[in-house]
Amino acid sequence: MTRTLAEVLEQSGIPIRLQVGGKAPDAVVDREVSKEPCPRAKKLRDLYFQTLSSATNEFPYWYTRKYSELEGEIPVVRRAAALKEAFSHLTPTILPGELLVMGKAHYYRGSFPMPWLSEGYYMAKEDELYKAALSKGSSSVDELSKFGSGGGNVTQTFGNVVSIAGKFGMRREEIPALLHTAREWAGKSVDDVGHKYEQMVPTYPMKEAIMRSIVCMFDSGYTLPQGREVINYYYPLEYGFDGLLQMAKEKKAEVAGRADGDGLVGMNRLYNYQAVILILEGIQNWIMNYAKEARRLADFESGPQQKQEYQEIAQRLESVAHNKPTTFREAIQMIWTVHVAVLNEDAISGLSPGRVGQVLYPYYEQDKAAGRITDDEVLEWMQLQRVKFTCIDCFASMGVVGGVLSGNTFNNLSLGGLTKDGRSAANDLEKLIIEAAIRCTSTQPTLTVLYDDKLPEDFLLKATECNKTGTGYPAWVNNRGAIDFILNQYGPEGMTVEEARALAIGGCLETSPCSWLPLHLNAKEYWIPGGSGQPTSVGVHFISLPKVLELVLFDGIDQRTGQPVYSPHGKKLESYEEIVAVFQDYFRKTVDCLTTSNNIQHDIWRKQNMAIFNSLLKPDCLLNGHLIHELGYRYNGTYNVESCGTVNLVNSLAAIKKVVFEDRATSLEEIKQALRDNFGFKTASEVGSFSLADQEKKEESGKWDYIHYLCLTAPKYGNDDPYADTILKGWENWFCRMCHDYESLNARPLYACQISVSTHAPMGMATIATPDGRLAGTTFADASLSAYPGTDRNGPYALFESATVWDHSLSQNSQMNLKLHPTAVAGMQGCKKLLALTQAYMRKGGFHIQYNVVDSKMLRDAQQNPDNYRDLMVRVAGFTQYWVEIGKPIQDEVIARTEYEGV
Amino acid sequence: MHEGVSKGLIFDIQGHSIHDGPGTRTLVFLSGCPLRCAWCSNPEGLVLQPQLMYKPRLCKDCPARCVPGCPKGAARQSENGGSHILFDRVLCDSCDTMECVKVCYMRALQTSGKWYAVDELMRLFNRDRCYWGPEGGITLTGGEPLLQQEFVLNLLARCHDAGIAACVETSAYVPRTVLLAALPCIQWLFIDLKHMDSGRHRQGTGVPNELILDNLRWISRTNWPGRLVVRTPVVPGFNDTVANAEATAEFLAEIGLSEINLLPFHRLGASKYGQLGMSYEYAEQPAVGQEALEALAAVYREKAITCHLGSDTPF
Repeated sequence: MTRTLAEVLEQSGIPIRLQVGGKAPDAVVDREVSKEPCPRAKKLRDLYFQTLSSATNEFPYWYTRKYSELEGEIPVVRRAAALKEAFSHLTPTILPGELLVMGKAHYYRGSFPMPWLSEGYYMAKEDELYKAALSKGSSSVDELSKFGSGGGNVTQTFGNVVSIAGKFGMRREEIPALLHTAREWAGKSVDDVGHKYEQMVPTYPMKEAIMRSIVCMFDSGYTLPQGREVINYYYPLEYGFDGLLQMAKEKKAEVAGRADGDGLVGMNRLYNYQAVILILEGIQNWIMNYAKEARRLADFESGPQQKQEYQEIAQRLESVAHNKPTTFREAIQMIWTVHVAVLNEDAISGLSPGRVGQVLYPYYEQDKAAGRITDDEVLEWMQLQRVKFTCIDCFASMGVVGGVLSGNTFNNLSLGGLTKDGRSAANDLEKLIIEAAIRCTSTQPTLTVLYDDKLPEDFLLKATECNKTGTGYPAWVNNRGAIDFILNQYGPEGMTVEEARALAIGGCLETSPCSWLPLHLNAKEYWIPGGSGQPTSVGVHFISLPKVLELVLFDGIDQRTGQPVYSPHGKKLESYEEIVAVFQDYFRKTVDCLTTSNNIQHDIWRKQNMAIFNSLLKPDCLLNGHLIHELGYRYNGTYNVESCGTVNLVNSLAAIKKVVFEDRATSLEEIKQALRDNFGFKTASEVGSFSLADQEKKEESGKWDYIHYLCLTAPKYGNDDPYADTILKGWENWFCRMCHDYESLNARPLYACQISVSTHAPMGMATIATPDGRLAGTTFADASLSAYPGTDRNGPYALFESATVWDHSLSQNSQMNLKLHPTAVAGMQGCKKLLALTQAYMRKGGFHIQYNVVDSKMLRDAQQNPDNYRDLMVRVAGFTQYWVEIGKPIQDEVIARTEYEGV
Repeated sequence: MHEGVSKGLIFDIQGHSIHDGPGTRTLVFLSGCPLRCAWCSNPEGLVLQPQLMYKPRLCKDCPARCVPGCPKGAARQSENGGSHILFDRVLCDSCDTMECVKVCYMRALQTSGKWYAVDELMRLFNRDRCYWGPEGGITLTGGEPLLQQEFVLNLLARCHDAGIAACVETSAYVPRTVLLAALPCIQWLFIDLKHMDSGRHRQGTGVPNELILDNLRWISRTNWPGRLVVRTPVVPGFNDTVANAEATAEFLAEIGLSEINLLPFHRLGASKYGQLGMSYEYAEQPAVGQEALEALAAVYREKAITCHLGSDTPF
């Protein structure tokens, strides 16, 4: 007889329901800090909640049409002309109530495919898409509402809407045009051309095997080739688009026909400036089309207030299209316009706006002083900006958007940090940005505090208050640690301490190089920070460390598929050191093989699909005439090696070392058999669930119970236990340094990036049981330094000790997610104590920490899925208990009390 | 079994507590208590001996290795509950090897309570102190933290020397000499006062209250510079009467104390009674409502005694 955990609990008199339908609503009910958005933002955010992800073919159609016409043109100019054509033809949409306008496409949550990056998906699905396009369609309202209530994803075709890439809906009549456009790119896209050349790398067959076995999940060059970087708004703010055009024209005249000592790419500057001019004109056309639409709407509008708002929108856009902004409202419109323009130029996730509160501060300061704006008005604009950011959708293949990103677009806004001359950079506008994020809770932009001991207490407490909204932001990042990393990585490219202080977080947690540039406003000079590096989280994507260990133990054969991945090592694995040595060998082979093929993909990208608009924004492309593809950026050593499943690897190595080689309690052969037999449990796919709670034993013979017990009780990371922590330290020291042995296409060394994003679920799915006791197919530990659920049994201080045994500044990042119950941080005292905890972790050298201050909605979910919440604690006076160990009646009581305490 | 002065039996250590003293604190729960309060939320801390905890939730899909594994024959399989195990707790109480825990690969059987040397705790405190913030420190609770007197006095002295602020939460049902020795090393004292009527106190806790009241009187007369907060767990049907509140308030006023912290009864310890094979008298007892608490608080405030409810004591 097999029993699920649910049945066991049932028999214990603690019945649980194991499944809840769908995704929990975004809004949480029981936060200690909970405020309403302003009415304007609320209306627009409600609209977002009701809107589906919608794709259109407008941009790709005009782009492809122009591109085809220009056969034989220089690639950079050809691309710029195609982009200009596309921008100039985007249909503008302005909604009533909006103040901040413009979007990626004419749908509220609009986006579009870029077949010049990869068209294979549409070609492969051609028949299916055609069928969907030609079928009558039931147009069932039931179906429509079903999808409407499941968030904004269009996961299935319904009515007149065809689902593409598992997330986006496209109108049926646009499908033939989509397929036609896609066909134009067959054999020419970055994906196709890159694939042709990557096959010339001798290790290509191994790369194929690596991807199939899900040792690694994604190619880098054609999926999301840019992003995880910080945008730079400086040049449009300082010069305006007319000024930039003027500059480009002067520079073009200056360099035409001259190599100026650079025989390789000196001549290219002429074409690059020509491309810059074309794209700037395209963007001006695009802005003016919105201005015209605002005028048109104003003419039709009878309500005096709305009419005036349309007119003001038109005036702002007419100014922003040509001039440098002079007011806060113009400046925030300008940076939003620039942001969307970059997102439309290429497939990008994680384009971070950077330190917006410091970029916009000059306008805020001067408008406030002149009485042109109040804090309440600024708060409204910052909330409207949140809604706009949240509406951004990123169109990429289903695997990338769903599997890695979970649909998130990672527009990370950084706060705090230091000024150019080393003082606290926090300001009053940043406090308003935090307040806007408290009032208008939404997924984007997420917030990060660049924590420095110099930041003032009131600012830090404001940020801590925001943590108590339960949204999980702001994340806390160690500013000094980040400076150390930036100096190490970019020192050889000229990075100074002063410039390192400009850093911000790109994407979810990617420490990115930035620069200071002098902004002039009414004769006053302000040094503002902005991105000056190439994209990060490009290069070698997510390597599944536990999967590599599986391949080490089983001589290169994938135990899930039975297929060989690496050539057999043939070793007997008679010592722990031998296992580590083989692991390092396999890992090096993996990195080398993936770097070479990704370098080729990115090289094809930069030759044919280079960033032009994003490039001209970044120092010092406009000045040196070289764009991203000729290393015109100030910092180009941005490529990395990403890992996933660190803690499962560390715990697995600790178990092998202790159980097999030290205690000799069992043999490696026995453990391997136990792993292959999943410790006597059914596989996750047999059970039909990937949650630990649902895993079932095959039979009750208990054949593997002892070995499973040994594995589970072996030392685990997160307990201040030097046994496991030493293994972590050894791994980090080796991994972070070995990355430098490989170089990107920019001939700069790679570095380590340790964030799992969402890959720990699919990668866990592809990995059999691991020696730490984890069962086959179940999810790995999240992040890189969060303990595996349930294995950190000695509280947060012990976890922090374990996490900080190694130097975090060796890596671009490390990640720690911590769950806290709201009672643990209630009130102002709670804010101070949460801050003290954060500060202590930072002072110990922890790089990142973020808190889930759990609300009762989560607690209710925890009641239904207790094993997902193994590490959740409830604290009351003098008594703390793990949530899952408390009976349901008491849980109900705690839920009630929490709501009471939240008033 | 008792390891005397050099080691103390501790059944839990928790970092990052914010409800039992100022700042964030590391809580140490010491085993053993002279009182037997029927509502106690930490039943695993009542006796000065490691306790066998059995979690049926984890007991599954196993051929019941603990049944043949127990040399005393204290474990047997329940007839209707599948693999669930019943323990003869009388035999278990005389056991000091806990063979059953060693063969429970499901980890459904665990021991609560571990012997710690003072040095081990000091290493832990020195690790934790960077997280406490300037106001934080350690809080000793239990059980009755002053029961293992040689050990705890040794520990408090070491903390004092190391500049670690200590808070003690005690029943005060301890010899005056222990308090006398401990006070110089303590910055903060929580004393539980459960009932003013000695007979009722004995009914509820197993001991009379004279020693407790005497100790309170005595401390309030010393020139000890720390802060003393009296805590009363408000237990329905036992001490939630206005009369007891009035008597308590009068007593506090008489000895010159001006604040009290009322803690509403909760059942968060209920699952642990099951795990220890004990029955819990208060299993069905509903929590104390906010209105009832406010009514009692009004009695204190009437007598100019500051009354903090639940976890809102300002530190």
